[in-house]
Amino acid sequence: MVNALDPQNINSFSEASVSVEIETEDMTLNIGPQHPSTHGVLRLVAKVDGEKVHDVKPVLGYMHRGYEKLAEVRTYPQITTLVNRIDWVAGFSNEIPFITGAERLMEIEVPERAKHIRLILTEMARISSHFVFNGAYALEVGALTPIFYAMEDRERVLDLIESVTGGRFHPNFNRIGGVKPAAGAGPTTKKDIQDLPAGFYRDTKVAMQKVIEAADQFQNLIGGNEVFKKRTKNVGVLTAETAEAFGVSGPILRASGVKSDLRTQTDYLPYDQFEYDIPVGENGDCYDRWDVRVKEMVESAKIVLQAIDSMPSGPLQAKVPKVIKVPKGRTYVRAENPKGEMGYYIVSDGGLGPYRLKVRTASFSNISILPNMLEGALLPDLIAIMGSLDFVLGDVDR
Amino acid sequence: MEEFFNKIKETFTDATLEFETVTIKVDSTEWIETHQNLRDQFNLKFFSWLSAIDWDNEVSVGEAPKESVSPSFEIITCLSDLANTNLIIVSTNIVKSDPKIKSLVEIYAGANWHEREAFEMFGINFENHPNLEKLYLPDGYEGNPMLKSFELISREVKPWPGEVDVEGMPEESESDKSEDG
Repeated sequence: MVNALDPQNINSFSEASVSVEIETEDMTLNIGPQHPSTHGVLRLVAKVDGEKVHDVKPVLGYMHRGYEKLAEVRTYPQITTLVNRIDWVAGFSNEIPFITGAERLMEIEVPERAKHIRLILTEMARISSHFVFNGAYALEVGALTPIFYAMEDRERVLDLIESVTGGRFHPNFNRIGGVKPAAGAGPTTKKDIQDLPAGFYRDTKVAMQKVIEAADQFQNLIGGNEVFKKRTKNVGVLTAETAEAFGVSGPILRASGVKSDLRTQTDYLPYDQFEYDIPVGENGDCYDRWDVRVKEMVESAKIVLQAIDSMPSGPLQAKVPKVIKVPKGRTYVRAENPKGEMGYYIVSDGGLGPYRLKVRTASFSNISILPNMLEGALLPDLIAIMGSLDFVLGDVDR
Repeated sequence: MEEFFNKIKETFTDATLEFETVTIKVDSTEWIETHQNLRDQFNLKFFSWLSAIDWDNEVSVGEAPKESVSPSFEIITCLSDLANTNLIIVSTNIVKSDPKIKSLVEIYAGANWHEREAFEMFGINFENHPNLEKLYLPDGYEGNPMLKSFELISREVKPWPGEVDVEGMPEESESDKSEDG
């Protein structure tokens, strides 16, 4: 036993402490499944060495509802109701690629007016999804205020979706061959088809103007905040090559500098009739991912404003058989959803329902990159990186 | 789309273009080479998804195929080139008695989770996969739920459709019922 208080020993002790390397054990940190910033029930098992994150294992399945199996025992019109609930933040967007796929196999030409209504509501769903992201992401990195603004502004858009479809989150509005007659259009006779509710154009113009103002406000309130910049700039940088190999799509991919937007590249809806920009980031960090989404809200609002100005007249429904049977064939339809590429691979054998339905969701591929991105990150950045991916567990687990 | 299809057809002569979807069928032994070729020669760098189909005439769920099919697993991947909108579906068939195929993780890192999902849902073994574990299902779960022979429990407990107890609207006659389902 050495007497530590002996002045003779003090020198040697201090020397000893610098030459001996301290061995530490990695600590396992369990995050979730119930945690306010996990966007649902995601569980992360992270190994941390001090403040450094080593090895992150996402544990999925808490929200797995088996949609692909359920689709095998349902008819095509019944599946529309199901797919609403995949990404519930933008329920309307989920219906579009599925319905388009069934229509393509049945070789039905959808009336222009129905396509325009679909397009307007899809863009509104995108705006409402990005409002949620803005509020929630600011909250995740420690700013409490923006979510109150975001939720209030989102409600204005949801009101519009509700006035047309009757549902705020799960519209179930698309039908094979067109759209359902609008909900809020008032009493109708059988001969007079219900259309968009009265005052819809006027209210939309007001709401879209508010969206553009709100995006501007977010640029100052969130983007102009020094703390927000410090926490997101150069944090969680994702290169385009890695993103593509993992199938990461949507705003995340665009933030990494890839100018890819399925709205212009495919023809599931008539986006080619409108003028808008595709915002692209430079660095692929958390700040860019946030920035791309805010700019996208403005572009979406512009598309909606153009679409209501050029709304064609005509029927809402194409002629379809009473019993919907989809001929034998296969097709893959993908769409640019708020969170990225969503697609349905429909394998039909000529029956009332598909033989197999593969649902490709954006969030699934988007968060598969989490272990890769979090390797070596600081623990406080974990939530900042995770939040910037903007996922919803219904969209991951299906 | 046409241009890309013609280019694909030069290399893969049996490629098809149906309902705006380019599909090629390859032998399971050429699985890795095909994907490497598609990624490097055709610039299809974006890995969209991988999944499988259980082909069988004896089914416990849904409708059986109308024509007779030889029981097999069809494995499908979807690759695309984001700059040029090119998209391709690659498909191969493997036997059910020994369902195995080489893993694509080395070529497309994103195949990892998709292969884990196909492994637990269909029981397909992906050789050389770094971490072939269950993705969604809890440990100890037995069976592969996406097999056509796997019963959907809720439908067994309560058959569909149940007793129809909804009466039609009185003013609605058969002839003018709307067609929107």
